[in-house]
Amino acid sequence: MSLENYEYVKEIAAEAIRLDERKPIEGRKLTIKNGVINHSDGSAYLELGGTKVLAGVKVLPGEPFPDRADEGGLIVNFEASELCTNYPSDRIMYSVEIARVTDRGIRESNLIDLKKLVIEVGKKVLFVYIDVFALNNEGNLLDACNIAALSALLDARYKIEGQEQKLPLPLDFNKLAVSHTFAKVNNSIFYDPSAVEENVASARLTLGVGEKINSIQKGGSGFFTPEEVDFCTGKAFELKDATKDLLMKQTKK
Amino acid sequence: MYEERFDKRKFDELRPMEAETGIIPNANGSARFKIGNTEAYAAVYGPQEVKPKHLEKVDRAIIMCRYDMMPFSVPDRAKPGFDRRDMEISEVITNSLNRAVILEEMPRSMIDVRVYVSQADAGTRCASLTAAAMACADAGLPMRDLVAAVAAGKIGDSICLDLTKEEEDFHEGGATDVPIGFLPSKNEIVLLQLDGKVSREDLKKIIEIGKIGAAKIYELQKAALKRRFSNESQS
Repeated sequence: MSLENYEYVKEIAAEAIRLDERKPIEGRKLTIKNGVINHSDGSAYLELGGTKVLAGVKVLPGEPFPDRADEGGLIVNFEASELCTNYPSDRIMYSVEIARVTDRGIRESNLIDLKKLVIEVGKKVLFVYIDVFALNNEGNLLDACNIAALSALLDARYKIEGQEQKLPLPLDFNKLAVSHTFAKVNNSIFYDPSAVEENVASARLTLGVGEKINSIQKGGSGFFTPEEVDFCTGKAFELKDATKDLLMKQTKK
Repeated sequence: MYEERFDKRKFDELRPMEAETGIIPNANGSARFKIGNTEAYAAVYGPQEVKPKHLEKVDRAIIMCRYDMMPFSVPDRAKPGFDRRDMEISEVITNSLNRAVILEEMPRSMIDVRVYVSQADAGTRCASLTAAAMACADAGLPMRDLVAAVAAGKIGDSICLDLTKEEEDFHEGGATDVPIGFLPSKNEIVLLQLDGKVSREDLKKIIEIGKIGAAKIYELQKAALKRRFSNESQS
């Protein structure tokens, strides 16, 4: 992409037109495939337009955190791997922010009942590790990472040592909080920004929405007015059901 | 004694394979190679400016390779990050690619090769090298030949091709694992490692059987690359 192209994307954004001809509040095609990693307890390969990520869940025993003796642990790790970008500094910036936002979205929604992951109070609990890897970045890694992580969690079946039966994680499906990212380009608000749009966007707003709003992250150096924030929240609540249905459908197969 | 393989394969039979190129559009070249339950993703960036500058060679390109395992690729969780094993494998992959890629044609440049293992069931270095070579070809780098790599070995008294983790851990009589990388059409060995113990005759047989396996992988690699470029000309 050259400088002129960036200018062009900004210019047409003023009239709420997008380079890939999507409507302002229109996401790209989302496809999810489960059970792709045989060593993980749950996994998902997700494509959001050209963005591709791979998520794996592992459930392993360990010692609980000293201040939370009666709870299991949740650890989210995201790596914008060297496969998907040539610039190391981008990678580190993305990786930490995305991992933390995804972590908060899942943790604060109380999707996983960590209290049910205790084997012996204070001694042995189960840790849920979610590792997400970006394979290709065509924009909106935040949503891709969140949805892939959720899908892998839904897919997960774990086994406790000494027991034959494989158990699903203690999840409350009603609390599923799906992330929605909006980018502000030249005063227009676009849902599910592409890589080009992310590059010219002045600001970004990520909302993790379940029954209520569970996580918000504003990114970029620009600003949102209170009205714009309200507009985005409204749209996120409208959009969440479609993604949620897709996630639930995947798990029933 | 090891008379029948755990997965009922013949002794000189490879696990089912999949190969695909161009899966990472951001990269100059990319590939995925899967053999049994071992899967590797590779991306090639370059030729590009050499960083850090002091590594630059005036007469040829340099290859910087990074091999890593995704945390969920193994039965326990692999800690994210670069450890000593990753370092060693990066080095042997670099060495093999140094022979396959014609570096003299791209002086003062750097080629970044990144390989990530998403599923590991023995033979990850071979799968990684195979994928990396395909990604290099996909990036359009000048090459002497592709690299087709496969592990062969001796389990009990039998010479086997393409060992699984279960076979590597076979205890009665011991298992020896030899990863071999070939430039198939040139009959050159660019990767050769061994752990265990074999006699001179056995090593000869192991290399022989490895060569048969490599030839099959080579055909698959070529088919994947052809498919990619014929798709491109259509669109």
